[in-house]
Amino acid sequence: MLSRWLLLGEWKAHLVQAAVAIIAIALGVALGYTIHLINTAAFNEFSAAARSLSGQSDLEVRGPRATFDESLYPMLAQHDHVELANPVLELDVAIPGNLHERRDATLKILGLDIFRASVMAPDLIGIPAEDKLFDILGDDAIFLSPAAMEWLGVKQGDPLQLRVGTQTITLRIAGSLRRARAGQRIGVMDVGATQWRFQRIGQLSRIELKLMPGSDRAAFKAALEQELAQRGQYLVTETADQEARIANMSRAYRVNLNMLAMVALFTGTFLVLSTQALSVVRRRHQFALLRVLGLTRGQLLKQILFEGAVLGAIGSLAGLALGYVTAATALHYFGGDLGGGFFTAVKPEVRFDPLAAILFFILGLGITLLGSAAPAWEAATANPAPALKSGSEDAALSKLATPWPGLLCLASGILFTQLPPVFDLPIFGYLAIAQLLTGGIVLMPRLSALIFSALSPASAKRKPGTVASILATLSLARLANAPNQAAIALSGVLASFTLMVAMAIMVASFRVSVDDWLKHILPADLYLRTATSGDARGLTPDEMKALASVPGIARVDFSRSSQLMLDPSRPSIALIARPIDMSDPGNTLPMTDDAIAPALLPRNAMVIWVSEAMVDLYGYTPGKQVTLPIAVPAPSFIVAGVWRDYGRQFGAIQMQLADYQALTGDRHVNDAALWLQKGVTPEQMMKSMKSLPFGNVLEFSEPGQIRALSLKIFDRSFAITYLLEGVAVIIGLLGVAASFSAQALARTKEFGMLRHIGMTRRQILGMLAVEGGLLTTLGTVLGFTLGWCISLILVFIVNPQSFHWTMQLSLPWKGLLAAALVLIASAAMAALAAGRRAVSGNAIRAVREDW
Amino acid sequence: MIFKLKSLLTRSLNFFVTFFVVTCVVATCVFAAPPRFSQVIQGVPLTFPHDFGAHPEFRNEWWYVTGWLETPDKKPLGFQITFFRVATEHDRANPSRFAPKQLIIAHVALSDPAVGKLLQDQKSAREGLGLAYTKEGNTDVKLGDWYMLREENGHYQTSIKADDFTLRLSLAPTQAPMLQDDNGFSRKGPQPEQASYYYSEPQLQVMGTVIRNGKEAAVKGVAWLDHEWSTAYLDPAAEGWDWVGANLDDGSALMAFQIRGKDGSKVWAYAGIRDASGRFTLFEPEQVTFAPQRTWRSPHTNATYPVEMRIQTGATVWLLTPLQDDQELDSRQSADAVYWEGAVTVTRDGKHAGRGYFEMTGYVKPLTL
Amino acid sequence: MLELRGINKSYVNGRQVLADLSYTLGAGEYVAVMGESGVGKSTLLNLIAGLDTPDTGEILIGGTAMSSLDDDAATRLRRKEFGFVFQAFHILPHLTLRQNIALPLLLNGASRKHTEDRTEQMLGAVGLHGRAQHFPRQLSGGELQRVAIARALVHCPKLILADEPTGNLDPDTAHDILMLMRGEIKANGASGIIVTHSHAAAATADRVLVLTKNGLRPEDAAHPANSLQRR
Repeated sequence: MLSRWLLLGEWKAHLVQAAVAIIAIALGVALGYTIHLINTAAFNEFSAAARSLSGQSDLEVRGPRATFDESLYPMLAQHDHVELANPVLELDVAIPGNLHERRDATLKILGLDIFRASVMAPDLIGIPAEDKLFDILGDDAIFLSPAAMEWLGVKQGDPLQLRVGTQTITLRIAGSLRRARAGQRIGVMDVGATQWRFQRIGQLSRIELKLMPGSDRAAFKAALEQELAQRGQYLVTETADQEARIANMSRAYRVNLNMLAMVALFTGTFLVLSTQALSVVRRRHQFALLRVLGLTRGQLLKQILFEGAVLGAIGSLAGLALGYVTAATALHYFGGDLGGGFFTAVKPEVRFDPLAAILFFILGLGITLLGSAAPAWEAATANPAPALKSGSEDAALSKLATPWPGLLCLASGILFTQLPPVFDLPIFGYLAIAQLLTGGIVLMPRLSALIFSALSPASAKRKPGTVASILATLSLARLANAPNQAAIALSGVLASFTLMVAMAIMVASFRVSVDDWLKHILPADLYLRTATSGDARGLTPDEMKALASVPGIARVDFSRSSQLMLDPSRPSIALIARPIDMSDPGNTLPMTDDAIAPALLPRNAMVIWVSEAMVDLYGYTPGKQVTLPIAVPAPSFIVAGVWRDYGRQFGAIQMQLADYQALTGDRHVNDAALWLQKGVTPEQMMKSMKSLPFGNVLEFSEPGQIRALSLKIFDRSFAITYLLEGVAVIIGLLGVAASFSAQALARTKEFGMLRHIGMTRRQILGMLAVEGGLLTTLGTVLGFTLGWCISLILVFIVNPQSFHWTMQLSLPWKGLLAAALVLIASAAMAALAAGRRAVSGNAIRAVREDW
Repeated sequence: MIFKLKSLLTRSLNFFVTFFVVTCVVATCVFAAPPRFSQVIQGVPLTFPHDFGAHPEFRNEWWYVTGWLETPDKKPLGFQITFFRVATEHDRANPSRFAPKQLIIAHVALSDPAVGKLLQDQKSAREGLGLAYTKEGNTDVKLGDWYMLREENGHYQTSIKADDFTLRLSLAPTQAPMLQDDNGFSRKGPQPEQASYYYSEPQLQVMGTVIRNGKEAAVKGVAWLDHEWSTAYLDPAAEGWDWVGANLDDGSALMAFQIRGKDGSKVWAYAGIRDASGRFTLFEPEQVTFAPQRTWRSPHTNATYPVEMRIQTGATVWLLTPLQDDQELDSRQSADAVYWEGAVTVTRDGKHAGRGYFEMTGYVKPLTL
Repeated sequence: MLELRGINKSYVNGRQVLADLSYTLGAGEYVAVMGESGVGKSTLLNLIAGLDTPDTGEILIGGTAMSSLDDDAATRLRRKEFGFVFQAFHILPHLTLRQNIALPLLLNGASRKHTEDRTEQMLGAVGLHGRAQHFPRQLSGGELQRVAIARALVHCPKLILADEPTGNLDPDTAHDILMLMRGEIKANGASGIIVTHSHAAAATADRVLVLTKNGLRPEDAAHPANSLQRR
C-alpha cells in the first residue's frame, strides 16, 4: 500500500516527467519492435518465396554460373540413391515496353518438368483452363502468379511479350499459379518450352534431388561432389546452404538497421536515467524522512526500482503495441522494404512475434531499471540525517561523477575498435560505439564542472554590476557547482546528438564516396544496354559490329556481366568482362591503393581485378593465384588489384573481355560504353542507333542520369536512417525538456528568493535560458566530438565489416551546424518554458515552502 | 483402357479435373504449329516386327500385360503392367531434349486375395534424355527403372520396382499374335474413324520373381498382352466400358468388350475367340451381350461394380468370377479417377474354362458425366 | 529506557562535539535538552535514533545496544520504538493527512483495520478531525506540526525525539503545539526528548537538561522554566 501511495503521489505531482519517460521508452521499444517485425516479416516472406521456388529437395546441384549443360540431368536422374531429380531452368526475363515506367522490370520464369516438379514443388504448378489441360506442357504457354498478372496488368488468355536479347517473343498466359505466395511475381513454363523460347537449349539452372528414403545425405553429398568434380565445376548444396545464402544477402543490412533502432532505445536509457535521477534527487528529503521513520535500505531501493519498473513496463507495453501497429501499417501500405532494396518484390504480412515481444519488453524494462539503478542505489545508501537538510541535491549525484567508469568505458571502446568482426558482423564496432557514448556521457559532469568553473571567474570579473553579468555569473556558478544535475539533464540529448552527428558524417562520407565513384566508373558519354537483367541474351557479335559502325562514335567498350557462384552459402558474385587498360587499370576501374604494379605482373598470366568484398569474403588478395569456374578446366588468374565497388556488396570481379571470350566462347555482351566524336551529341547518337534493326530494344543512359538515379536510390535507402535519427533526437529533446522542467520546479524556492531580492521574472527566465543554452552548447560541442569519433568507427570499421567497402571521410559541416543551432535553440526554449511555470507561482509561498 | 490413360495423365499433371479424354484435346495454340497425327484406316495390314514397336505418329498407344501367377505355395496372384504413350500438341520444331512431345505413363498392380485389395503404383514422364522412351521397330519401352523389352526371340522381359513390391518377369509367347477384329483394325464405335490398331499376344508363359516385404518368390503363370494404338477412339456418347481378355485352358483366347453409353446402353461391342489351332471367330456388336450377375459395392468409393459378369457371344455363355471383389484402383487423392481392374476366372457354359482379366470403367459417379 | 554510556563524537572535520557523555532516561520521562548552537544537540538526537554512530561509547535502547545492530536492524528498531517531530515538519506533500499519519503503521505492518482506527484516533487527538483527506498544502504551519505529532505517536513508540518542533511557529501556536505534544506523550505513556533553544518550549518538559562541552547536566534550579514545571 505504501509503495502505491508513494508512486501515485509522485506521478500525480510529476505527470509530465513520468509521461516523458514512458514515451521515451515506448518510442524506443516501438521503433526497435517495428523494425524487427518488418524486417522479420520481409525476410521470412522473402525466404519463403525463395524456398517456394526450389521445392522440397534434399540436395541441389548447380553450376557456378547461371546455367550448365543438361547432360548432367539424366546421369543424376538415374543415379543410385536418387529417388527423384527435378530439372529447373530459372531465368529473369526482361519485359519490353516502357522501361522507365517499370524500371529494371524482369520477370522470374521457372522452366519446370511438371512430372517431377509436381512432386517436388507442387505449389509451382499452373492451373490451365479446363478444356486446355495440355497447356501445362504447351510450347507457348506460361502460367503467371496472381501478383505477376496484377503487376503486368494481364489475365488468363492474354498474350505476354518478353525480351530475349534484342528480340521480342510472345507467349500466351495459360493460367495462374494460384498457390504462389502473395506478392510473388513469377511465371512457370514447361522446361522444354523455356529452353526453346529463351534460347537456352541444353541449359539448366539447377537440378533438385530427392534421395531414396534412408539414404545418408551427407555421405551421398560427399560422394556426389567427388563424382561431379570429374565432370566439371558443380556445387552440391543443401537447403541449409540456400537459407544461409538468402540470410547472408540481407543480414548485414538487417543487423545494421536493428542496431540503429537500438540507438533510439539506448538514448531512452539516458533519458530514463535523467528522469529517475532527478526524481530521486527531488524526493531526497522524502526518502530521508522515510528512512528516519523506519524504511530499510532494501525497501527504499525496491521502492525506487519498482517505480522505474512500472514506468518501464507501461512504456514497453505501449511501445510493443505501437510497434506492432506501425509495422502492420507500414507493411500494408509500403511493403517490407525499408530502403535496402532487398525485399522489394515481396508482400509480407506482419505476424505477432511473442519471443521478440518478450525480448523487447525485457529490453525496455531492463534499460529503465538500469536507468533507475544508480539513483536508487544512491538514495538507499545516503545517510538520512544530512539528507534531510536542503542543498545536498548535487552532492547526491556526485557518486555518479567518478571518472573511472567513464574512462574505463572509453578505454574499452578504443580497444574494441581493434577487434575483428564476429560472424561477418561488426559486433565489436557497435560495442565500441556504445562504450564511447557511455563513457562520454559519464564523463560529462566532470567536463562541464571543469569548463564552467574556468568560465565562471572570467565572467565575474567582467563589467561587474550589470544585470547581464549577474545573470551570467549566476548561471555559470550553478553550472560549475552543481554540474551533475546539469549533466544528467543533458545526457539524453548528448546521446542522441552524438549518434546523429555520427550517422550524418557516415552517410555524408558514403554519399560523397559514392558520388566520386560514380564519376569514376562512368567516363563515357553514353551507355547502352539491351535489357536490364543479367540473364538477358544481350547483343550478338553481328549486332555489336552494327553498333560500332554507327558514324560519330569515337570509341566503344563492350562489356559482359554474369553471375558466378563460388560458395553455395553466399550470394553469387558478379563477373564483369570488359576491355581494361593493362598499363593503368585505374583508367578503367576505381582502384584502391591495393594493387600490383602492371610491370610486376607475370607476362603471360591472365589477371583479374577484384572488389573489396572479394578480399574480405574470399581472401582474393593482390598477387594471389586463383581459379575461376568459367571454363573446364577452371582457368587460373592472378589478382592484380582491388577496386572499390559500392554496387555489389557480395563481391565482383573484373577481367579482360578478350580473356573471357577466349575462355568461355560466350560472344554476347550486355552493355556498351560509347565515347562520341566531337560535335556529336548523345541525342543525335541515340537517334541514329534507334534506327538500327534492333534499335528499339536498346536502352540508353547518360552518365548524369545514372548518377542522379544512383544517388536517388542511395538517399532512399538511407531515408529510414534519417527517420531513426530524428526519433532519437526527439527523444533526446523530450528528455531535455523534462529535465529542465523538473529542475526548474525543484528550484522554485531559489527563484522565490531571487524574486525577493529584486530579480524580475524576465531576468530569472533569462538566466534559465542562458543556463539551458550554455549547457546545450557544451553538450553539442561534446556531442560533436564524440559523434566524430563514432563516425570514424562507422566509416572505417562498421561499414567495411558489414558491407565490405571502404570510403573516405567527409564532414557535412552545414547540416551539422544547423542541427546544432536548432538543438541549442530548442533546449533554451525548453528551459524557458519550464522556467515560466516555475516562476509563475507566488514568491512568498515559494520561499516558505519546504519542498 | 483409355480411361486409365486419362487417370494416369491427370495424376501426373496433378489436376483437380473430373474428366478428361485425351482424344478430346483440340489444338488451340495460337503461336504453335500443332502436329498432325495419323489416322487409323481400315485395310492397312500390320507388319511385324515393326508394329511391335511404337507408333509416335498416332496420338495414343499402349502395351498392356495382365495375367495370373502362381506362387511356390500354389497361391494365385493377379498382375497388370501397362505402358502408355501419349503424343502431345507440343510443337515438333522445338529442338529441346526436354520438349514434351511424347508422354510415357506406366501403371502396375498386383492382386493378392490374402491382401484383400490391389497393390498398385504409377509413374509418368516426358519422353527424352534416355530416361523414358517407347522405341520404334520393336517393343522397347522404359520409364525410369521400369521397362519392358521384346527380345529377338519374341520373349518379353519386364522389370517393375513399385512402392510395395517388385515384379521381374519373362513372358514367352506360345502362339502367334492375335490380330483383333479386322486383321488388327479394331472398331470402337459407330463411326468408322473410332477405331484402333489392335493385336494381342495371349497365352504368354510367365516365369519370374515377385518381391514383397523383402521376400523374393519365384512365380510362373500365364499372361495376356495387348498392344493398341490410335488417334481418335471413343464415341462422345460413351460413358465407360467393360473389357475382358482371358487365356482358356484349352489354349484358346477370348477377348470381348462393350462400350456403354451414358444411358447404360451398348454403344458398341465386340468379341473374338481364337482357338489353339488358330481358328478365329469374330462376333458383331449385336451378337455380344454383357449382363451383370452380382454387384459389389466399394467401401472406398461407394461405387457399385458388376464384379460377376455374364457375357454371351453368339450362343456361348461366359461367366466371369473375380479372384477377389476388391480390385478397385482408387487414385482419387491424386487424380480423382477410380476403376476396377482385376483377375477373374472364366466359365464357358457353366464349366471352368480359364482365367483372365476384367476391366470396368466409368462406374464412379463423378466420372459418369 | 534510554541509556547513554560514555559517548564520544567528532565531526568529519575533527571537531569534537560530544565528549564522554553519559545519561539515563527513565520510562515515561519527558526531558528537554537545551544548549548553544553547534554544541551537538541534533547530533545527539541522530545518535539516539541510530542515524549516526558514536565514535566510542554505547547507546542502549530498552537494554539493546545500538552498536550491535546493523542498518536494517537499527531501522526496524527505529520504526517500532521511535517517533520523530522535526522543526521543518517533513510531511510528504503528495499524501493526504491520513496517509501521512498512517506511514509508521504501514511501515510496521499494522493491520488495515488497526491502521484506520488508530489514524482516525490520532487525527482527533491532534484536533484535525474531519480533515483526513486534506493535503499538506491546505494546512498552516501549526496544523502541519500537529500532523507530525500525530504521526510521531500513531504507532505507540516508546521514545519521541523532537528537534526544535516549534522553531518555525509563532509563540502562541508554539505553546499550543508543545502542550499538545506533552499531553500526547503522556497520554501514550511514551518517553520524550525535546531539543530546543526556547526556554518556554523547554519548560513544557518534566526536566530541562543543558548540553555543554562538559556533558548533560540539569539546568540551574533558579531557571524560570523550573517554576513552570513545578506549577
